[in-house]
Amino acid sequence: MDKPGSLQNGPEPVDFRRKLTVVMILICAALSVLTIRLWYLQIIKGDELKQRSENNAVRFRKIQPLRGLIMDHNGVVIVDNRPSFDVLYLPARGVDHEDLILKLREIYKMKSVDFYPAQPFPRTLKSYLPVRLEKNVGMEKVALVETNSMDLPGVYVDVTPIRLYLDGEITAPIIGYTGEVSKEELEKPEGDYASGDITGKSGIEKALDPYVRGRRGNELVEVNVYGKVIKNLGRIDPVCGSNVVLTIDAALQKAAWEAFEGRPGAAVAMDPRDGSILAMVSSPSYDPNLFNSGIAREAWEKLQKDPLKPMSNRAIAGQYPPGSTYKLIVAAAALEEGVITPETRINCSGSFDLGNRTYRCWRKNGHGPVNLHRALVESCDVYFYTVGKKLGVDRIARYARKFGLGDVTGIELAHERKGLVPTRDWKQARMKEPWQMGETISISIGQGFNLTTPLQLAQAYASLANGGTLWRPRLVQRIEAAEGGVVKEYLPEKKGDLGLSGKTVELLQQALWGVVNEPGGTGYAARIDGADVCGKTGTSQVVGLPQDEQARRRKKIAAFHKDHALFACYAPARHPEIVVSVVAEHAGGGGAVAAPIARRILKAYFDGKKKDRPVEVAVRRQTAGQAGN
Amino acid sequence: MFFFRYDRRIFQNFDWTLFALVMSICAIGVVNIYSTGFSLGENASPLYLKQMQWVFFGLFFMMVAFLIDYRYINRAAYGLYVFSVASLIAVALFGHTANGAQRWISFGVFLFQPSELMKISIILALARYFDDHKSREPYRLRELLIPFGMVMIPCALILKQPDLGTALMIVIVSASIVLFIGMNWKSVAIAVASIFVMLPLAWHFLKDYQKNRLLTFLSPENDPLGTGYHIIQSMIAIGSGGFLGKGFLKGYQTQLKFLPEQQTDFVFSVFAEEWGFLGGLALMVIFTSLIIWGLKIALHSKDLLGTIIAFGITALIAWQVLINMGMVLGVLPVVGIPLPFISYGGSAVVSLMAAIGLLMNVSVRRFILQR
Repeated sequence: MDKPGSLQNGPEPVDFRRKLTVVMILICAALSVLTIRLWYLQIIKGDELKQRSENNAVRFRKIQPLRGLIMDHNGVVIVDNRPSFDVLYLPARGVDHEDLILKLREIYKMKSVDFYPAQPFPRTLKSYLPVRLEKNVGMEKVALVETNSMDLPGVYVDVTPIRLYLDGEITAPIIGYTGEVSKEELEKPEGDYASGDITGKSGIEKALDPYVRGRRGNELVEVNVYGKVIKNLGRIDPVCGSNVVLTIDAALQKAAWEAFEGRPGAAVAMDPRDGSILAMVSSPSYDPNLFNSGIAREAWEKLQKDPLKPMSNRAIAGQYPPGSTYKLIVAAAALEEGVITPETRINCSGSFDLGNRTYRCWRKNGHGPVNLHRALVESCDVYFYTVGKKLGVDRIARYARKFGLGDVTGIELAHERKGLVPTRDWKQARMKEPWQMGETISISIGQGFNLTTPLQLAQAYASLANGGTLWRPRLVQRIEAAEGGVVKEYLPEKKGDLGLSGKTVELLQQALWGVVNEPGGTGYAARIDGADVCGKTGTSQVVGLPQDEQARRRKKIAAFHKDHALFACYAPARHPEIVVSVVAEHAGGGGAVAAPIARRILKAYFDGKKKDRPVEVAVRRQTAGQAGN
Repeated sequence: MFFFRYDRRIFQNFDWTLFALVMSICAIGVVNIYSTGFSLGENASPLYLKQMQWVFFGLFFMMVAFLIDYRYINRAAYGLYVFSVASLIAVALFGHTANGAQRWISFGVFLFQPSELMKISIILALARYFDDHKSREPYRLRELLIPFGMVMIPCALILKQPDLGTALMIVIVSASIVLFIGMNWKSVAIAVASIFVMLPLAWHFLKDYQKNRLLTFLSPENDPLGTGYHIIQSMIAIGSGGFLGKGFLKGYQTQLKFLPEQQTDFVFSVFAEEWGFLGGLALMVIFTSLIIWGLKIALHSKDLLGTIIAFGITALIAWQVLINMGMVLGVLPVVGIPLPFISYGGSAVVSLMAAIGLLMNVSVRRFILQR
């Protein structure tokens, strides 16, 4: 055998023997160091580490961030945060958790408070992930748990921020509510949620959740058997969510809510100059604070089963026949299409015959010969039956669409409904039946298949008020970082143009002025001091009964079969600043019920302006982490 | 077959010592993974069974790598290298992503991790290069430019995945080979100096998230909730094992799932908790014997090629053992480097077993090669 380590086939034998010996020694030395370390850990420090492994637990804690504040356009805080106390349990070794909960119940009994489990006890426990026993407990329980901590190994109180909706049900339809992240949301890959996170479930809270949510922090602490922190192992601070500035005026919102006095309905107040929503109420509503720490089952069922559907935002999801408020659109179509001139007079005898059916005007005795202006002011039905018949359903539909009806407005909220602008094709496709002329007659006064949302109504009237521009209704002005500075600015968005001639616009505006201000006008009840109001009333039938039949039954009609009252208006007549649409469900006539509601909203707006209120920015900013401790 | 002539001596001189050492480590690995998987669920996790399958699969590759004369294998070294680089490019283009890293190619039934194959390919490619370019003088920088490129291409691809541990491993093993066969000291100094000059420049071109990853890699204290937690739990687990250990399936740091990554990077803490200092020492001794045995094979090889291959493979195993144990014992920063044959991982086990086949190959052919 050759001498090992020498290479005969190389150009020059290299002596690897020495190098390999060095390498062997180095490796043996290194491995010895590791063995000594192993000895040190297991033998020298063994007992200490064994104790740590038996007694101490490492607790991993998510620190929920503060959600961003939500403010009105003046900086008045509408949605804030408040601390909530939860009772948590970190699974400890050798503790039977059923005994533990029995013990907790006993301790509670001393002060005669009950134990309300936050969740069914999980089947498998992770030693570093605490289980939440109770949510949002009162100070009494906090004190009981803290003072009895020796008897309750692993049980402790934790503070997390939860939402405080200062205006409760008044703003709930816009703001929405928050809750713990759902299973479905957790499974979304793009969500970056962890269980226990708080997310927006509806309204602005949901739409702007990525901005408002903030980023959760983490903390890793070593705790002893009693759950006391004995060592801080690391912490990542949470990051506050961004604040949202809405276009809403909190005071006007409140006034609008109060104007309804609890009656079911919805109202939208909008700035016709850029589409900013100043107020949007939907009545009845719900208290979003109930959802903060998980709504109780009974409360949830009550909300769900309520026939008045308090959880739905009627302003965007309530679809109502527009009634006579639709006459504005039929009038615009008729003028533009040359079907009538402003002077065309039609004689209203109180009824209109088509085939073997008779369609009645709301005024039994008729209006006599009326031109367009008077027909709008007095809301003459026969005039519009005649004009509508000449126009045909499809031409009316074309103009309705120009006014933004029959499609979502594009507001930031989810669950917006489209409403309905019927056409011949629509009926053929939907019902497999041809269009009937009689249906055109119903359409021309906003009945029949027609459906609009209160928001669409406000949008349509805003476009006339501003001379023809269709703005996208908007709720969000900007998003601001918690530490100041603008994160994102939302600019007004022009969606389209009515394309009406200046003369038509002027004629229609004058007629709307007449509705409120001229003798015989149906919207007389909307007048306020100091500003000229222009508007149009509407009364929409709820059940499609023939007019005379309905009249006969009116006296004994149940509340649910009464007509909806509508009113859409703007003010001041010159340079309008505010558009208001009101729908009062099953309330009766638009002029009698809806117009006074609109009047109260308008009055609140102009009174508020008069006060020239100083900018009282009651912003309560907090820093992340403080509430988490 | 021209590349394989049956020769009785192959079996007469079979390296049973090496085989026994590797198989005993593999057995410890499977038993240990069985322990970690024990509490995964009601119907026990099949992780240990999978690992067993990989070991058997690896035995096949070990035999292939053993039977074909390494001088023939050497002819395919560059081919294998190109294949490995291509696989890494394939990973970058349409690889399978898990835990935020794109490291695998999916074959439906299993995932293949080309970076593990790359560890072997680079050793063979460097062996081929230095065997083709024998020099009586220590190599100088200029002569090392091609090997440098050969190392850097796969490194860049693996860093991109990102898998700092494996990239680091390739650099360290390659550097060990170069230093072992001899490098001009002046060149070493220049190389080290230029690395320090290049670093800030390279830093400039990195994206923010890459910088953050590197920073965390360099100082895990910046990520106390991730790696800090691992280290503390690992040390508590090991220490609580004491002299005799808590016994098989009785380590509660393990069974209570305190320990993260317990079937991969932190597998040694599981072992040390359950088997104590005695078990840990035994494993240490087996690994030391394996490494010394590998270096002996390098020493006794009849040609330069065999020496480099044997040294490279032994260096790969030695570095992984040292770095992994160092990190688990809390003396080195946490880098994602698994413990050979013990950590769970199909591609790693198979490629390491193939590497052992090569080592046996070199070991047995010193009795056959004439010259």
